[in-house]
Amino acid sequence: MSRRTADALVIGAGIIGAATGYYLAREGLKVIVLERNFPCSGSTGRCIGGIRAQFAHDLTIRVMLKSIRMFQKLDQELNEDVEWYAGGYLFLAFDEERKKSFLQAIEIQRRYGLKVDFISPEECCRIVPDLNPEGLIGGAFCPTDGQANPFKVTYGYLKGIRRLGSEVINGAEVTQINIKGDRVVSVVTSTGEKFSAPVVLNAAGPWAGDVARLAGVFVPVKPDRHEALVTEAVERCLEPMLVDYRADGCYFVQHYGTGHFIGCYTPVPIVPGHRIDASDEFITEMPRRMIRLLPKLATVKVLRQWAGSYEMSPDGNPICGKTPVDGFYVACGMSGHGFMFGPALGKLMQELITTGTPSIDISEFRLDRTYAKTETMK
Amino acid sequence: MKRSNRKGAIVRRVIVCRCEEITEEEVRRAIREGYHSLEEIKRVLRTGMGHCGGRGCLRIIARLIEEETGIPAGKQKFPVSRPPLKPLPLGLLASYQYEQKNR
Repeated sequence: MSRRTADALVIGAGIIGAATGYYLAREGLKVIVLERNFPCSGSTGRCIGGIRAQFAHDLTIRVMLKSIRMFQKLDQELNEDVEWYAGGYLFLAFDEERKKSFLQAIEIQRRYGLKVDFISPEECCRIVPDLNPEGLIGGAFCPTDGQANPFKVTYGYLKGIRRLGSEVINGAEVTQINIKGDRVVSVVTSTGEKFSAPVVLNAAGPWAGDVARLAGVFVPVKPDRHEALVTEAVERCLEPMLVDYRADGCYFVQHYGTGHFIGCYTPVPIVPGHRIDASDEFITEMPRRMIRLLPKLATVKVLRQWAGSYEMSPDGNPICGKTPVDGFYVACGMSGHGFMFGPALGKLMQELITTGTPSIDISEFRLDRTYAKTETMK
Repeated sequence: MKRSNRKGAIVRRVIVCRCEEITEEEVRRAIREGYHSLEEIKRVLRTGMGHCGGRGCLRIIARLIEEETGIPAGKQKFPVSRPPLKPLPLGLLASYQYEQKNR
């Protein structure tokens, strides 16, 4: 068995593993990223690329404000056009209860300096001229939210890792995690290699629970299926991400650079398990929901539908931090927001690993919390 | 496709993926950068993400990978093809009454 050593091993080349690996390598650590399949083959490559600070949970808002500042400069950092565009996010309210929950969230968001307003249906239509305002009572709008290309961002980070002299290995599934005393010492992969390092980060997304089990650690992450579709590229007519939280709602955005519409919805009831098959229900239901909001989409053609996993934690917030095994860290349970959290949580995980004290206290996201406070703006 | 530049020299620009207008040169460059699978090249260059869903380009790209790396085209993993088989308008799909079956 061949043996390799590094300062840190990262399991998983999705956005979280790629970003954390990059910032660790930038600190001078020798990093090896171990990817079971190929980069972006899990949840990251299936997400639709939305980025927002409009959340209801204090820490999530602070982390997202940091992430958005990082996305704004990611082009220069990675020397790669990541297609960041601040088109905003418009959350639509069709009943008083939803409006109330948006107003409560806005109050919290403004405490951290987020530029966000509850706007009238007329103002919603000014931002989205083709919007069907039927039943609409207003919307929560933040112009600094936006979108970026998940592939460009993740591959950009991975290229950066290689440029810094560290490594990314594809087709290497971690099959064993070795512990000596209370410390992680090495991992073994399906390629028959042994990698030794004092630090191992579990960034395996929907499979993070399985990877943690190899170290005897329990991580409460469960995948559930979300489907998505993309249309042909058409002339620009939608700036923000539109979010309709009704039980039969959906969310979609038009990609800034290309003009494709891309979107999904949260099925009711949820579809548990890692299932990436495409359903007939989605390909007929999603177009109905999109056309209800933007009637002019009726003539636009669907190119493709697919599915991916949200890696859900019990409270809908990330699980980031140490585990009972020294040197074994976890960053998972992104609950549908991994791509947007990526830059900030990657940097904060690096700070936690190299200094012990990240610049934003993320201990609320620790593994051994009670998971009682759920996120309302899922 | 052949086309002359301003100096009159002949430049070769072979389009491999017509939907996304990706050239042979761009694909070869990606392979030389270390992207040795159809899945990765798809994510880096968008080949196979256009109207044809990869029917036009994937085999050609598999051959280019074979030429550059020696990995036989027949041994390469092709991306899963996703419905619909050909692009359909949202309005048409929305008019279809889906019968609730077991998921």
